[in-house]
Amino acid sequence: MLTGMLRKLLNAALLLLAVLVLNFALIHAAPGDPVEALVGEMGGATPEVIADLRAQFGLDQPLYTQIGTYLGRVLQGDLGHSLYYDQPVTQLIADRIGPTVLLVVAALFSAIVIGTMLGVFSAQNRRSVLSHLVTVIALAGFSAPVFWVGIMLILLLSVSIPLLPISGMADSGGAATGLAHALDVAHHLVLPALTLALIYLAFYSRLSRASMLEVLGSDYVRTARAKGLSRRQVIYKHALRNAVLPVVTFAGLQFGQVISGAVLVETVFAWPGLGTLAFDSILRRDTPTLLGILFFSALMVVVMNLLTDIVYRRIDPRIQTR
Amino acid sequence: MFERLTRTLRNAVPIALAATLSFSSALHAEAEDGGTMTGFTTGYRTLNPAVQSGAATGAPGSQIFAGLVSVGADYKIEPYLAKSWDISPDFLTVTFKLVDNARFHDGQPITAEDVKFSLEAVRENHPFGQAMFGNVESIDTPAADTVVMHLSKPVPGLLVSLQPLLMPILPKHVYGDGQPLKTHPRNMENVVGSGPFKVAENSPAERLVLVKNEDFFIPGKPHLDKIVYPLVKDPLTRVLMLEKGEIDYAAFAGIRPNDATRLEKVDDLTVTTDGYGAIGYIHYLELNLRDKPFSDRNVREALAHAIDTGFLSKVIFGGRTVPGTGPLHIGNPFYTADVPAYAADMDKAAAMLDAAGYPVGADGARFAFTLDVPSWAPAAHVPMAEYIQAQLAKLNIKVELRKAPDFGTWVKRISSWDYQATMNGSFNYPDPTIGVHRHFACDNIKNVIWSNTQGYCDPKMDEMLAAAAVESDFAKRKAIYADIQKKVQEDLVFIYMPQDFSVTVFNNKVEGLPASPFGALAPFSDVYLDN
Repeated sequence: MLTGMLRKLLNAALLLLAVLVLNFALIHAAPGDPVEALVGEMGGATPEVIADLRAQFGLDQPLYTQIGTYLGRVLQGDLGHSLYYDQPVTQLIADRIGPTVLLVVAALFSAIVIGTMLGVFSAQNRRSVLSHLVTVIALAGFSAPVFWVGIMLILLLSVSIPLLPISGMADSGGAATGLAHALDVAHHLVLPALTLALIYLAFYSRLSRASMLEVLGSDYVRTARAKGLSRRQVIYKHALRNAVLPVVTFAGLQFGQVISGAVLVETVFAWPGLGTLAFDSILRRDTPTLLGILFFSALMVVVMNLLTDIVYRRIDPRIQTR
Repeated sequence: MFERLTRTLRNAVPIALAATLSFSSALHAEAEDGGTMTGFTTGYRTLNPAVQSGAATGAPGSQIFAGLVSVGADYKIEPYLAKSWDISPDFLTVTFKLVDNARFHDGQPITAEDVKFSLEAVRENHPFGQAMFGNVESIDTPAADTVVMHLSKPVPGLLVSLQPLLMPILPKHVYGDGQPLKTHPRNMENVVGSGPFKVAENSPAERLVLVKNEDFFIPGKPHLDKIVYPLVKDPLTRVLMLEKGEIDYAAFAGIRPNDATRLEKVDDLTVTTDGYGAIGYIHYLELNLRDKPFSDRNVREALAHAIDTGFLSKVIFGGRTVPGTGPLHIGNPFYTADVPAYAADMDKAAAMLDAAGYPVGADGARFAFTLDVPSWAPAAHVPMAEYIQAQLAKLNIKVELRKAPDFGTWVKRISSWDYQATMNGSFNYPDPTIGVHRHFACDNIKNVIWSNTQGYCDPKMDEMLAAAAVESDFAKRKAIYADIQKKVQEDLVFIYMPQDFSVTVFNNKVEGLPASPFGALAPFSDVYLDN
C-alpha cells in the first residue's frame, strides 16, 4: 500500500510539472501580451514606456529563459509577482482562497446531502409523482445557466421579498467582528451558495438515484430483504453504503474543480474569491497570476484525487492499491 | 455658454476663494453633515490618477486627491487648491497662488514643490501627460504658495487639465523617493492624498472605503462621513442593487437603455445623462487606410451611405443618443453638428462602388474584408458589427466578423496595424488636444492603441490641428475645430457610429452632486444625504 501511494505521489509531481510547462507554453502562444493589455487599460502609452514595462516584467527575454526562470522560482515555492495587482501571486491566492472554499464547501455539502436524500427517495418511489418532480427540478437546475438562476434568485429573495443581501461577502458599512461578522458572512453566503448548490443538486440526485437503483436490484439486497430486515435497515445500512461510492468520487473530483465552478456565481454575487481572480487575470493577461492559479487548481485536483483514493478504501475495503 | 471657459482664461481674472465659498454655501444652506453614501467599483489596479486614465481609478481618485482647480457647470474653471491665478498677456506665463494651510492626509503641508512635482509626474507617467503638459517648459516655485508655469506655446487647454482627474496633487515626500511612479507601492497601500476624502479601507477584492478628511482645506467640507465602493462586476447585479437601495450612486455603470427605462420608473431613483460631456465617449468604425479598398475615399463614402446610424441609435440605444457626426462628443464645448452628412442610400452606395472599380464579381461579391470586434463594450460593438455585416451583404460585400477573445488580442492586432477594419471607440477628454488630435496628426501614426492607427495623414489637417492647439481665443478656436470636424467628415477618416448611451443613476436622497461636465469624476465635497 505504501509503495503504491509513493508511486502515485511521483506521478502527481510529474503531472504538475507537465501542467506548468504546458500552461506556460499555451498562454504565451496566444496573441497579445500583458504589457499591451496593461497599457490599453491605462489609456495608451508611448512605445518607449511599453518597452520599459516589458523589460521590467522580463518579457523581453527569450521564451526558454522565461520558462526556466519561472520553473526555478516555482520549485522554491515562489509563484511570481502579479503584473496587475503588483503583489506576490501566493499572497493573492491566499487572500482569495478562503471565500471560494467557503462558498464551494457550503454549496457542495448541501448539494450532496440534499441531492443524495432526494436520489434515494426517488429510487425507492420510482413511479410516484414526487419522484418525477425531483427529476424535473434536478434537470432544470442542471440545464439553466447559472447567472440566470442567480439573477432570478436575487429578484425573488432580495428584491421582491427583501430577505437576503444581493452582493458581497459582508456588509460594507459596518466593520463587525467576531460572531456578528460570522453571521453577516453567513447571511451573504446563502444566495450564492444556493445558486451553486442548485447545479450540483441535480448532479447528485441523478447520480445517487441511478446508483441506488442498481444496488437495489443486486443479489445481496435481495438476501437482506429475504432475511426479514426492515426496509430502513436494507436501504440505509446495506444499499446506501455501496450506492454512495460514485457520489464520493464525484464530490472529490468536483471539489478539485472549485474554481471553474465558482467563476460565474462569484461574478454575479461579487463574491471575492479565486474564480473572479482567475477570470480577470485571463482578460488582463496577468500571466503570473493566471499561471499561479492554474498550478494551484492542478495541485487541488491532484490532492483531492489522492484523498478520494484514501476515502474510497475506507468505505469499500475491497479496493486495494494495484 | 461655453465662452465662460475662455473668458476666464483670456481675462485672467483672479477669483477670490472666499467669494466662491460663500456662494456655494448659500446654495447648499440646508446641507446636512454625516452619513454614508454607497457607490460601486468595477475594480482598479491603482488609486493614483496620475498613472491611469479612466473612471475606475478616476472616480475615487478625484475624491482622494485635490487639483489646482475644479471645473463647474458649463466648463467654468473654479478655484480649488489654487485660490487665484494670473495669465500673462502673451499666454506664456501662468502664476498660481495656493490656498493657505492646505495639508495632505498625513498632516504635511501642501506646497508649491508638491504642485511642481505632480505636474512633472503626470507629464511623465499619464497616458495624456505629453498631450496636456508637453508645452510646459519649466515650473518655478518662488514661494511655498506660488507656482509659476512657463509655457513654450500657449496652452488653451491648460486650466481644464488641472482638475484632480487629470492632474492630482501628489505628496512629493511620498512619491518622490525615486521608485517608478507607475508601479509605486503607495499607489495602493497607505495612499496619502490631498482631497476631501481619505482612504480608510482598500481591499480590491471586496471594497474601497473613503472617509471624510476632517482637515480638508475648504472649511465645512465635505459633508459625507463616508463613501463606500463595493466591488460589483456584473452590470445586472448593479441594476438590482440600485433598485433595492443597496447602491445610492452609480455612474459609468454600463446601464443599458431598457434597464434605464425600468429604473426611471422606480420612485426613489433619478436617471440622468449629465456628467459625461468632459469625458466624451465616441464609437466609430475604423478602416485601415493603408490598403485597398479602404484607401479609396469613395469606397468609404459608399460604406457611409450604407450604414444608417440613425437606425443604429434607435435599435441599440433605444433612440436615446444622437447619430455620430464626427470626432467630438455632443457635450464637448467645441462640438458642431454642421458637418457633411451621408444620408442612408443603398442605391447611391452601390453606384459609388461600381464607379470606384468594385463591381459585383463573378463570385457574386464586390470584395470581402474582416471586421474586428473588440472584447470590451460588447453591448455596443457586437450589434453594430452585426448590423454592418448585414447591411454590406446587401451591397454584395462579404464581411467576416472576428471577435477578439480578450483585450490583449485586439490591442495587438490594431496597434500593429494588422487589420482591415475594426469597431472602435475612444474618449475625447475635455480639451480636443488630449483625446482628438491623437487620431488625426501625421506624427502620431504609431504602433500604439488609440493613436493614429488607421494611418491618416493630411498636411492641411496637421496645420489646423497645430493652429487649434495654441489658439487662446475661444471663438476663433471653436471655428478652427468646426473646420477640423468638417474635414474629418469630408475625408471620412472614420465612419462615426451613434454616440454612446451613458447614464448616472442615483437615489433621490443624494443631494449636491457636482454640476460639472466631469460628473462622477469631479470632487464630491458638496454632496450630502437628505434623510
